Amino acid sequence: MEPTRSSDAGSGNSGTYTPEIAESIRFEEEIQSLMRENTMHPGLEPPPVGGGGSSFTALLGLPANQAVELLHEPESEESPAVAIASASGGEMWRFRLRDPKALTLPSGCSPTFPSNAALVERAARLSVFATEDSPEAASVPSHSGDRSTKPKAEPADSDSQPICPIPGERPQRPAKRKEADKGNKVKGPAKKTKSAEEGSAKGAEENTSGSGEKLPYVHVRARRGQATDSHSLAERARREKINARMKLLQELVPGCSKISGTALVLDEIINHVQSLQRQVEVLSMRLAAVNPRIDFSGLDSFLSAECGRVTVGDGRCGGGMEQSAWMEATAVNEGRRQQQQIWHVDSVHPHPTPSVWERVDSPHLFINPGTSLFGYDPSNSVASLHSNQLKTEL
Amino acid sequence: MNRKNSNKSRNPNKPTLAFYFLRALACINKKTSMASYNQRSGTIKRAAYASMALAAGPKRAWSRAVLCRVLWWGSSRLHGFPTRRRPRAFFHRRVRVADPKLREPSKADVLRRLVPGAKAMDLSRLLEETAHYIQYLRAQVLLMQNVVGSVSD
Repeated sequence: MEPTRSSDAGSGNSGTYTPEIAESIRFEEEIQSLMRENTMHPGLEPPPVGGGGSSFTALLGLPANQAVELLHEPESEESPAVAIASASGGEMWRFRLRDPKALTLPSGCSPTFPSNAALVERAARLSVFATEDSPEAASVPSHSGDRSTKPKAEPADSDSQPICPIPGERPQRPAKRKEADKGNKVKGPAKKTKSAEEGSAKGAEENTSGSGEKLPYVHVRARRGQATDSHSLAERARREKINARMKLLQELVPGCSKISGTALVLDEIINHVQSLQRQVEVLSMRLAAVNPRIDFSGLDSFLSAECGRVTVGDGRCGGGMEQSAWMEATAVNEGRRQQQQIWHVDSVHPHPTPSVWERVDSPHLFINPGTSLFGYDPSNSVASLHSNQLKTEL
Repeated sequence: MNRKNSNKSRNPNKPTLAFYFLRALACINKKTSMASYNQRSGTIKRAAYASMALAAGPKRAWSRAVLCRVLWWGSSRLHGFPTRRRPRAFFHRRVRVADPKLREPSKADVLRRLVPGAKAMDLSRLLEETAHYIQYLRAQVLLMQNVVGSVSD
């Protein structure tokens, strides 16, 4: 399905999209070569992409779905490049990790080169894969941006690559790439980019806020036409964080993924939270009406019988220490001992038993899975906490 | 680091939730069978939130706030009237609205009012807490529906 789809798109839009796809493919190739750390190929050029549909279909042969994604992304331009660019850096990286071989394009094709800036922008908008930032991914847009500084008329020197060399463009790109690569890994990448940005007439650089997991600094790159001072960079990073969280929330709330626009999404989220809270209230009313009829005798025995091993030891699980500490912090009149036991119980629960969840038929069912799982202090020390609370609330 | 926080701990521990809630229900059933219907329903609602917060753990801000609220209510009832404010009240901070283009301030404020303990948070933290809160709310609602469904059959 996907190859046909892509071929349709290719045949229908060969005039307009193949250059962009060529750019993206070339971009991927750059990433791949960059990741290979090919110092032996100083003049490594990205493979040329055929101007027609032939190379396109050849490309399709290898990473069919990925090519499709590459295809579809240039069509959809509604996402703000700021958010996408940061994602695309990691996505490019992911793409390379997934299938580096697939990036190899057939050599000997006539090159068609649109501007580097367009390629970089396309690459910036490729939000194909899961966002996974990496330092190299951040370095990729850096070198592509540096590439853009080179005039396109420069002839290609290197012919030593297995990939077909491209006449025109980047002879010194690998050098720049290494520089940018190192620069990215070192602490002051923003300055480097900024100077490159200001130096280039038409530099479309991407905005990648590198992951905080691998690098000590958040490497944010200024986009074309945007301010590059530290305030706007920090604000851009913050905005990207917020956008990422909003995306997560959109997935969580049903029916929110179709809505575009932050205000409407927030409306939906608010409605959802309100409806959930109302549901809790309604259900509690129903439970109150039904409660006298519940036979909790079995459950009582279960609750009191779960006095297996008392795991007072905090080393039981990592959260135990924290939880007991937290219970100390939230000191209440009911009794700290009980609260601590609550949290120790919580830390003891190792494996969830989904069967317990689904089969809330009778209280007796809980005894069986519970005996193996739960173990805490004997008697009603834990249960009495709730009873104390609830008694006082009458 | 932010990625780590947002990726892990995404699934509420349902058996824990069920355990706490059913235990609370058992206690309610035992102790307050003579109480009025409204009082019982309010109690059950508080027990639901308390069990939700207990299952969530102390790492979430909303669970801490919920438990503080529940226990404070209990203590205030015990002592007759609330003599002191909620312990987190003095943690209020001014929240900057740095980017009004993203959303109107009113919506975030409404969300802050809805999600417990989210009053003094910036937007990204607020969104994260909302996500966890929604997850646990949904789990709690499912549990209660199951209980009601099983009992009424």
